[in-house]
Amino acid sequence: MALHTETRSPASGPPPDQADGRRGALIDTEKLAAQLAAIVGERGVLARPSELATYSSDGLPGYRLRPRLAVFPTSKRQLIDVVRLLAREKTPFVARGAGTGLSAGALASGDAVVVGLNRLNRILSIDPVNRLAVVEPGAVNVTLTRAAGAHGLHYAPDPSSQTACTIGGNVAENSGGPHCLKYGVTLNHVIALDVILASGEIVKLGNADGEVDGYDLLGAFVGSEGCFGVALEVTVKLTPNPEGVRTLLADFMSIDAGARATSAIIAAGILPAALEMMDGPTIRAVEASIYAAGYPADAGAVLLIELDGLDAGLDADVALVELHCLSAGARTVRIAANEEERARLWQGRKKAFGAMGRIAPDLVVQDAVIPRTKLPDVLREIAAIADRWQIQVCNVFHAGDGNLHPNIGYDSRNADESKRVGFAMRDIMQACIDAGGTITGEHGIGLDKLEYMPQIFSPESLAAQCSLRDAFDPERRANPGKVVPVHSCREWRGA
Amino acid sequence: MSTGAVQHRVRAGARLGAGAAAPAAAIRIVGGGGWLDAGRPVSSSESISLADDAAIVEYVPGDLTLTARAGATLASISKATSAEGQWLALDPFGAPTGTLGATIATGSSGPLAHAFGTPRDTVLGLEVVTGAGEIVRTGGRVVKNVAGFDLTRLFTGAWGTLAVITEATVRLRARPERDETVGVALPAESELDAWLARLRALPFSPLALEMVNATLATALGLEPRALLLARLGGNEHSVRAQHQLLGAFGDSSAAPTRVWSALAAIEPAGAAVVRVSAPPSRLHALWARLAVGSDPTALAHATVGRGIVRCIRPSSNATPIAAWLDTISRTEGTHIFERLPASEWSRVPSRVIDPLSRAVRIAFDPAQILNRGILGGHA
Repeated sequence: MALHTETRSPASGPPPDQADGRRGALIDTEKLAAQLAAIVGERGVLARPSELATYSSDGLPGYRLRPRLAVFPTSKRQLIDVVRLLAREKTPFVARGAGTGLSAGALASGDAVVVGLNRLNRILSIDPVNRLAVVEPGAVNVTLTRAAGAHGLHYAPDPSSQTACTIGGNVAENSGGPHCLKYGVTLNHVIALDVILASGEIVKLGNADGEVDGYDLLGAFVGSEGCFGVALEVTVKLTPNPEGVRTLLADFMSIDAGARATSAIIAAGILPAALEMMDGPTIRAVEASIYAAGYPADAGAVLLIELDGLDAGLDADVALVELHCLSAGARTVRIAANEEERARLWQGRKKAFGAMGRIAPDLVVQDAVIPRTKLPDVLREIAAIADRWQIQVCNVFHAGDGNLHPNIGYDSRNADESKRVGFAMRDIMQACIDAGGTITGEHGIGLDKLEYMPQIFSPESLAAQCSLRDAFDPERRANPGKVVPVHSCREWRGA
Repeated sequence: MSTGAVQHRVRAGARLGAGAAAPAAAIRIVGGGGWLDAGRPVSSSESISLADDAAIVEYVPGDLTLTARAGATLASISKATSAEGQWLALDPFGAPTGTLGATIATGSSGPLAHAFGTPRDTVLGLEVVTGAGEIVRTGGRVVKNVAGFDLTRLFTGAWGTLAVITEATVRLRARPERDETVGVALPAESELDAWLARLRALPFSPLALEMVNATLATALGLEPRALLLARLGGNEHSVRAQHQLLGAFGDSSAAPTRVWSALAAIEPAGAAVVRVSAPPSRLHALWARLAVGSDPTALAHATVGRGIVRCIRPSSNATPIAAWLDTISRTEGTHIFERLPASEWSRVPSRVIDPLSRAVRIAFDPAQILNRGILGGHA
């Protein structure tokens, strides 16, 4: 993680405003604003710097890029017309949902226009028989689960930001969440998309009426971080609510013991719905906040483990999990006695980032994945890195799938501290890569992780990714400068 | 064949480097060689065999991940993982000598897809040689990964028309403590819709839930009537409860677990095979039209949760192939043609002739040398 106040990471190639070399002369901004207003109305276009401030950053601190304009269509027709206008004017754009992303992915590099989708937020249909829902891209994740609840169903991907983040944003990022351990990530739940490509052409990806034949372009689109086009409508699977749920809290004297318990549970073949870890500093931040969940404040780590399925058989699995926790050194294993206690245990986990926000003015959340057997080693290494750079790392993460989220609280006004945080982030990423892991499990590359891409992919592999992007958007106007370092694409073109 | 050797062959075929003026040589990619009659006829002047590059490269049971060369057979992977109480939860149709590479390239799955999905849900990373002769690695070896554009999904199920898969990392599952199969008699046709709706509303997900028609049940050595085969997994208490819940659906009796491998290998050589799928709420209509007909030799089975009916027509079948295909084609749904006599493929529309698919093909295999023709159109 590099901390920048103005633009981009130095390793990411040419500045974003030169990120695509295929653009003609840009239309005058005032004229463009007027044309956009003709589609969405005056109130649907923001042009003043003060108005654009909100759209200059996302959930990740350290980056600010002011868009040229921001436009907010309120209907599918308007969205289509906006994208087609931008195509005619050869203007780059960035689709943006709720702006909760954590990789600077929704920022307007390349002097792009932000196309805000948060007003396209309707749930268009729910088919309880086939367990499908069709939503607009700006529909908020949790509203779908609430609407489906009447039918005993829910939408399984549940990022911590689910009360704010949009399904369209989830599609762009292939978002995860605690319950993805058992139920899979966004990719596993999206079955069809209507997409408008940057060219203005509308394509249907996937198939809501049966199997998919031909190339898995839907699979390629999910997680493409807004670089392949804009979703107009999203068809997702809904998941039946489980008959029984058991939520356990196991507390340990050390992270190490919690990590060993995690590895043991996974290796034993138990598949919990969720298996989350929080370390001591996180626990104490949560307990000192309004989200206090009753976690033991003196613990070195807690595991929040949820098992679900048929009631019959659940208790046997609970007993096994308990056994593995106790063998790994758990002091206590507590089972939530009722729905209220379960909700409270989860609230502490889901609001942990918010709780940590109270401790320091700025908070940077890292995201990496390691093989699950490496959890104890890598967590020890992260502690050593924190010592080395004299910073405070809090770990709150999806232990069950090895998806780490080290958080560092700091004060961005303190230049020295900011620099140390940057170095520590880099060392943590390196430790995860060295352990055979990857640089992001659910937050995406965006701008923030461009510099790490060459560490996990060869030039040929990066170039191949570029050529996939070029099949969708040959002019590279959709979210320019993101995901793959621009110089990788240039090498491919020159080849 | 090693990755380097594959690259050499593809580059030579694409006439990259010296002799670029010569026409490109089309290459047929071959795994175990057991499924070569699946998909459209391929026009090729040479082939690349991956069968002898069959090693398991890395297997860490505690991570539930496995990396193997493309030529590794599903049987060899099953053997290695069984020893650890794990499995690769993919059971595509065909012999167990089928390879990992071919399973992924063709996106093939079987009844276990009900619970575990298809290769797109299981593959974590690939090493491939693209049609442009580049060695490309996609994804990784961890179970959750959003780094970069998703070439893993793109190459999975692309039938080798974009790249030659040389190595794959897959997610494994723990084998359930109990793995039991029960056969339940299907109700009368008029009651099937409501019966299936109740079945879908069961509060548990079986490992597999497959209907077989009477002809197929007989061929599998089961009772000679249409059956639902339910594969139940979990701990002792859970499986007992699952048996009880299914008991309410009609006469049931235990079936041996080996019925699943028998089903995978049931289609006779030279058979025509077509899948028709629709939203699960329409499955009863598909079944009535495709599986219950008067033809005493037509085999059919259906994956309940996914709304797929798979129709198998032995070459000995009395109904002319054209009439059989007409019935299928006129059935509303998504049609996927697995195997047909070569002469019949011209009737089947290609799914990769849209501009986006064409652009993807050209991006990865500019000379269109890999498995040319297998997906129709120019692909």
